[in-house]
Amino acid sequence: MSLAIAGLSSPLHAADEDLESAEERAFKQAAALVDPSVVRIQTVGGLDRVGKILTGTGPTTGVVVSSDGYIISSSFNFISKPASILVDLPDGRQFIAKVIASDRSKMLTLLKVDVKGLTPADPADMKSVKVGQWSIALGRTYDKTFPSISVGIIGALGRIWGKAIQTDAKVSPVNYGGPLVNIEGKVLGVLVPLSTRGATEAAGVEWYDSGIGFAIPMQDIYTSLDRLKTGKDLKPGLLGVTLKGRGLLAGAPIVDRVRVGSPAAEAGLKPGDVFTEVDGKPVRRQAEMRHVLGRKYAGEKVTFVAKRGNETIKGEIQLVDVLVAYESGFLGVLPARPAAGENNPAGVQVRHVYEDSPAAAAGLKKRDRIVKFGDKDVTDAKTLTDLVSRIRPKQKTTLVYVRDGASKTVDITLASLPNTVPGELLPTAIPPAAESDDEDKPKTGRFTETMPAHEHSYWAYVPEGYNPSHRHGLMVWLHPGGDTMEAAMIKQWKAICEQRGLILLAPKAEKIAGWSDSEAEFVKDAIEDIKKKYAIDDSRVFLHTFGDAGNFTFKLAFKYRELFRGVAAVSAPLRTAPQENSPEFRMQFHMVCGDKDSLYRNVQQSVAGLKTRKYPVSFTTVKGRDRKYPPAVQVQEIARWADALDRI
Amino acid sequence: MKFISRVTAAIAIVTFTTATLPAQSTDKTITATLPKIVKIFGAGGVKNLHAYGSGFLVSPEGHIATVWSHVLDTNSDDVTVVLADGRRFEAQILGAEPQLDLAVLKLNAEGLELPYFDLDKQVGTASAGTRIRGFSNMFKVATGDEPVSVLHGVIAAKTKLTARRGAFEVPYDGPVYVVDAITNNPGAGGGVITSRDGKLLGMIGKELRNSKNNTWINYAIPVPELTETIRQIISGDFTPRENKPGDDNPNRYNPLDFGLVLVPDVLFRTPAYVDTLVLGSPAAKAGLKPEDLVLFVNDELVHSCRMLKSELGHLEAGDTLRLIVRRGSKLVTVEMQVVGKEKQ
Repeated sequence: MSLAIAGLSSPLHAADEDLESAEERAFKQAAALVDPSVVRIQTVGGLDRVGKILTGTGPTTGVVVSSDGYIISSSFNFISKPASILVDLPDGRQFIAKVIASDRSKMLTLLKVDVKGLTPADPADMKSVKVGQWSIALGRTYDKTFPSISVGIIGALGRIWGKAIQTDAKVSPVNYGGPLVNIEGKVLGVLVPLSTRGATEAAGVEWYDSGIGFAIPMQDIYTSLDRLKTGKDLKPGLLGVTLKGRGLLAGAPIVDRVRVGSPAAEAGLKPGDVFTEVDGKPVRRQAEMRHVLGRKYAGEKVTFVAKRGNETIKGEIQLVDVLVAYESGFLGVLPARPAAGENNPAGVQVRHVYEDSPAAAAGLKKRDRIVKFGDKDVTDAKTLTDLVSRIRPKQKTTLVYVRDGASKTVDITLASLPNTVPGELLPTAIPPAAESDDEDKPKTGRFTETMPAHEHSYWAYVPEGYNPSHRHGLMVWLHPGGDTMEAAMIKQWKAICEQRGLILLAPKAEKIAGWSDSEAEFVKDAIEDIKKKYAIDDSRVFLHTFGDAGNFTFKLAFKYRELFRGVAAVSAPLRTAPQENSPEFRMQFHMVCGDKDSLYRNVQQSVAGLKTRKYPVSFTTVKGRDRKYPPAVQVQEIARWADALDRI
Repeated sequence: MKFISRVTAAIAIVTFTTATLPAQSTDKTITATLPKIVKIFGAGGVKNLHAYGSGFLVSPEGHIATVWSHVLDTNSDDVTVVLADGRRFEAQILGAEPQLDLAVLKLNAEGLELPYFDLDKQVGTASAGTRIRGFSNMFKVATGDEPVSVLHGVIAAKTKLTARRGAFEVPYDGPVYVVDAITNNPGAGGGVITSRDGKLLGMIGKELRNSKNNTWINYAIPVPELTETIRQIISGDFTPRENKPGDDNPNRYNPLDFGLVLVPDVLFRTPAYVDTLVLGSPAAKAGLKPEDLVLFVNDELVHSCRMLKSELGHLEAGDTLRLIVRRGSKLVTVEMQVVGKEKQ
């Protein structure tokens, strides 16, 4: 009857309106249906600030996942590391909650309260979930009696590398940890902040209330619940490879580097391999591979199929939570530096044996010639460095050397690269070059050069005794903002350059005030220019800097890892985390700082950070000094450090 | 199946209601509401303060209710009101009630016949999940003869902003509608939210940050909270409420008054652990023990020593002080009487 009447007056409007009213009722009913599973969480104590974020004191929300008191919530709600967590049940009862474990991939935290008879959330069947369906975000922060409601639609599935449902309902600290439910009152997921650009608990908070909100599917939560209940955190699973090309648009998943000792290395993967299938799913692009792996936890196994040329490789990899930093082994010798063109016999002649080193223990002496390492022939210092770098400290191998025409085989147990600079190190003498009237003779002494392709210039100092048949070390000096320090550097370094066969290259920043990241190319070109004109020893090219040029210097070092073997930095902490150590790109660090410098603690932290990544790093404190370039004693030390960059 | 039948039932009920009480469609709601919302231009422009706002007509003669804000903090001659159709009027401030964040303006013109919200017949109430439309001149997007902007969303909750002390710095302490549409923007204060069928629900408040979770909140003050004051201001028999005595932190009592010695307050949020108890003190007699963690003072969660001190400071002689403490993994409740200090 009533339908007919409405139909007579305005059929279309009436139908719209009926639908709108029915939907509105359904929103409320859905919230009411889930209500018993939605709890309020409050915290006491804890940090007021985490990074740049002021932490809230809540209340926040959680979802009941088992009748015997397990509650899942967003890890964001506990970033303040509260002293105590309280859970208010919808019926008004209050309990102390314990943190059981966290899922550090999906940013969830499991709590437990000591009570029975709770109503666990009823999960929606993900097979029936489609983009465009209603999704209702609930929180229990405003009102104890009824959840707060925000309504939107499902905007996407499998977001953030396969982990999350996206919704345009308003998601914020008001409902993080609360359920996202469908219009039937079944729980689609648990609301969390997530981001493609970060992996911390707070990543994605900047999108609060923006219409970009995320929920971890309830079905996935139930799948991993038993593992969380054991009290162990779930962590993202790592493979141990880097792929060629960066960014989300990168093409086929081609292995660029395989981390030494990682699960991928153990599975026999090699650079150049192309993944075609992971966990039974085809992967044509890197993004597809990340979608598959994004859902995997450490400890889980994935199968893979890869192509190596025409060959197909199959295998299984057990993912890990931490990739152990690679540490290169150390033999304990400095190689002699033979002149070019001399008819050198194969092998590496020893220039210096480090005290208490594996080489010393094996009885090696100056002028011995190392000809074999393990089962590999040693042709020159480069091959020996490469062989030793790929073996870890404490590993055993054998070594063959020649002394007075007789060869001898010894057992060697490699050590770690020492984090000290030798107190004394005799320079390798370079005989003066034969007199020549050649017009094209490369410039020596101090001179300035302008790079054709660039607006700016560099200055350099080449030893007067430069001999093109001997390869020289190259120090690239990056001056601090506002001062090229040209006179001071010449004064301190001229004699060292002559004595130790070192060329000083000093590119000038386009704006004297400081370096900009875009000048990396110019510095690289200046180095190439010098390397074209002079005989440079690739194993002794390093960056030297002081003060605020440090940030640019470290970025440069890691950008062109193939170019630099070390960084000697004064009063310059690392501003970003260093890349992982790799035997392919040996890199050594020497840090100097005055203990009155306001950056002293930061520099100490940088040293510690480099050490955890297993880089060799020596650190020198200049007593009673603030931010000044160090005096001669410390400069001599930098020179010795640089002269030992080719240590093996 | 079970669910479908429920929806069908819902539709049947709604249809029935429609037939008896002719509600309007969303289209009609918007068409009918837009002419009742006005754009207000006044003071501002310094310190990045916006010089514009919104308001809604509550009488055919040109009475306008709006939010009390800096925009009105000027000589009344300076307030300009522009209607949806572009007509422009000077307006004067008839009265304001800062406790409600409310002001009423009157257009300086006679013989007007404007569309308006009838505060007797067109006001409704709503609960969490109710669909709403928001109307305001947020960000001054509407200029000249354009109507204001419309948003949609649902009521997220009906709650009191001051339910949790310290979360919001607003004088208004009544209930509000929190909405899931981003309604509270510069210039939106004084706009309205309506139900889908055109009932006036609330007046959009000023921009407000929730200091407890550091997010911006979108809220509206329910119109029934305002109607009486609006009528009084229009009829001329209005006296603003007196400012409540500042009770930010009266510091009437401190923990030691009850014999409580807390752990040293070293952090911003030091948990309120009991360090020791004064022998024979009320707290000791009530059974508190060292290392108890005080969680609630009279049902107010205390996050820190600081908050505990503030809560105790609000007590008055004759109150019952109820503390809930955590001892191990148990919650323990103790009560004690608050006695007048002079008697101690």
